[in-house]
Amino acid sequence: MGKTKFGPTVKTLVQLMHEAIGDALRDADLRAEDIQAFVVANFLGGPNNAQLHLNSVVAGLMPGLNLPSWRVEAACASGGVAMHQAILSLDAYDPILVVGVEHMSGVPGLEITRNIGMAGDVGLDQAAGLTFPANYAIVAQSHMQAYGTTTDDFDNVSHKNHRNARLNPKAHFHHKKVEMSDVQAGVTVAAPLRLFDCCPISDGAAAAIVSRSRTDGRSVRVLGSAVSSDVISLSQRAEKTTFAAARDAGARAYRQAGVSPGEIDLAEVHDCFTIAELVAMEDLGFAEPGRATARVRAGDTTLTGPLPINTGGGLKAGGHAIGATGVGQVYELVTQLRGEAGERQVARTGLGLSHNVGGVGGTCAVHIFGGER
Amino acid sequence: MAIHCPGCGAIHAYDVGSCLLCGADFDLPAPTGGTVLAVTRVDAPSIDHEEVPYWTALIETDSGQAIVKLESPAQVGDELSFGSSADESRAVVGLAGTGIMACGLAELLLKRGHRVIMWGRSDASVSKARAKVLDRLSRTMDEDELDTAAAAFNDTTNLTDFADCDIVVEAVAEDMAVKQAVLPGIEAAMRANTVLATNTSGLSLEDMAESLTRPEQFGALHFFNPPIRMKLVETAVCSKTSQETSAFLDTFAVSLGRVPIRVAATPAFAVNRALMPLLNEAVRELEDGVASAEDIDAAVRLGLNHPMGPLALCDLIGIDVVVNIMDNLVDRTGDESYAPRPLLRTMIEDGRLGRKTGTGFYDHSRR
Repeated sequence: MGKTKFGPTVKTLVQLMHEAIGDALRDADLRAEDIQAFVVANFLGGPNNAQLHLNSVVAGLMPGLNLPSWRVEAACASGGVAMHQAILSLDAYDPILVVGVEHMSGVPGLEITRNIGMAGDVGLDQAAGLTFPANYAIVAQSHMQAYGTTTDDFDNVSHKNHRNARLNPKAHFHHKKVEMSDVQAGVTVAAPLRLFDCCPISDGAAAAIVSRSRTDGRSVRVLGSAVSSDVISLSQRAEKTTFAAARDAGARAYRQAGVSPGEIDLAEVHDCFTIAELVAMEDLGFAEPGRATARVRAGDTTLTGPLPINTGGGLKAGGHAIGATGVGQVYELVTQLRGEAGERQVARTGLGLSHNVGGVGGTCAVHIFGGER
Repeated sequence: MAIHCPGCGAIHAYDVGSCLLCGADFDLPAPTGGTVLAVTRVDAPSIDHEEVPYWTALIETDSGQAIVKLESPAQVGDELSFGSSADESRAVVGLAGTGIMACGLAELLLKRGHRVIMWGRSDASVSKARAKVLDRLSRTMDEDELDTAAAAFNDTTNLTDFADCDIVVEAVAEDMAVKQAVLPGIEAAMRANTVLATNTSGLSLEDMAESLTRPEQFGALHFFNPPIRMKLVETAVCSKTSQETSAFLDTFAVSLGRVPIRVAATPAFAVNRALMPLLNEAVRELEDGVASAEDIDAAVRLGLNHPMGPLALCDLIGIDVVVNIMDNLVDRTGDESYAPRPLLRTMIEDGRLGRKTGTGFYDHSRR
């Protein structure tokens, strides 16, 4: 595994990928020549960086190898879908390198908001100004109406993730101390979501190497890998407080792994907005619908609780380098399961789950890692 | 620019520092010239390459191959030389002033790795400007990169600190008296062989040069706001500017990734001379009741594909600044058709100067 720091940087897409891939190769004690294929996950290389065809760009970092390769785009779930595709492809190529990357800083505000909005439907959502925060604001409002969820519940998620980020040197907001009063004072972005309900615009890359054979005792087993999709726009759905794609991918990953939600020791869930962490907990069976708020309030999801969630700060405070996020979640889980997470190390490291959502639940990738070494 | 890896011979074209195949470290040199291996004349324009024809050549340099764009024909086997921009990219740059343009230039220069010395009149103004620049940079830099930029950013209230500079860009208030008062002090502090450029948007270079003892090393570099995004730099010279200084102005702009356009040292140069009558006419349309401010702006945006309407642009620039440029055009050309419309004068009297006062053609107080 390899991961750059998430957050703004002057480094380019290719420099970020070089750093993450180099780290992953060294971490796995493999040479570039050992890799048999690679997958690149990225969302907005076209509109943000005028760079598509990223698999060929990565080939330029390993000239002469001429490996099978391709690029995956599924909005914010690009990384998780790329992990899934790599795992599916192990029959043909082994080992496979997965690298996720995004560079968003420096794009003017109006443009970046429009570009991220491309995760929504161009006619149904974008035409009506339903930006990405606005989508999740509708989900938040629906959750509040259905279950009595309050902005205090959102603040609890945000504050927990910011505290975790302080212990993660690769987190976007590692250097920023965020008090509950800061969270509460955030300006409105899309009511009821305020600044500290929203993940930041991050740059970064993460890389993983998947294989049928383990290279050493630090290898972590993939027990489940599932991707599901759903209609893209909230206007096409009956339910606004839960994502069918997440429920479906979760159920299939649990079935593959032969485990139940209650057996999961820690999870990285897609908290692009605070409401999304609550919805994720409910979709993955960590709480009954509408009851995730109680578990967060009880401290269950803190580093020392029975189910630590987003131990590295999540997307909210760890950063959301979109194409890299799904791979970055796996980096955090693997680091925890190996017992190498330092100050933020959790106690129980049997089973870890990652949950990576594209758009407002149009795509979801769920992976389960761990088991016997 | 593509080089052969010093460790394994693989061809590397990305500035990533080390080879993933063999682990060897490498640097990519900037090409200074080479032999044309292949060349094509391009006749179909594209965005950023609207001017055709142009030529694109694959060249072999001392250290590897590169692809370069040429404005004139070349043939296979031709030897090309570009001259290195390495000296300009290491230049220590002085900035006189702490306003919007000085801050924007500091952001651009620091982002590109220059050392910057910013001079202002008071500790308060320079420390405010410094904080603003570093805040802007923090949106695109990580902590290490920001530390490096902060260390390369010196602020001062002492003009003698300009002695370290290879070039100083004056960006104080757009007022001849203010510029004439500050320019001699800057020049006196600078080393003899360095260039002093003004960021004027079109005041008389001759009048400014009168206050200098080395006018041959003086010229104009007119950047646009915000410099980090706006590609254009209008470059201009006065009658005493040397050939060497004149060429340096363009080379320096190119080294910053900008596109220099050489303009005669005429009032308001090319851009503002074209813009001011447009703004003034839009104000007259409003006076004449052609349409509402919103609709005049929408018409220009949608009909001419301008990113912003003229009245909104007046509010952004500042009504007082717009009127100042128009008055200057009248004074220097004697052409009354440049005179600001009465509505603009009224707005100044009422203190409606645009965004900076919260109201202009639009109400900006809501945000």
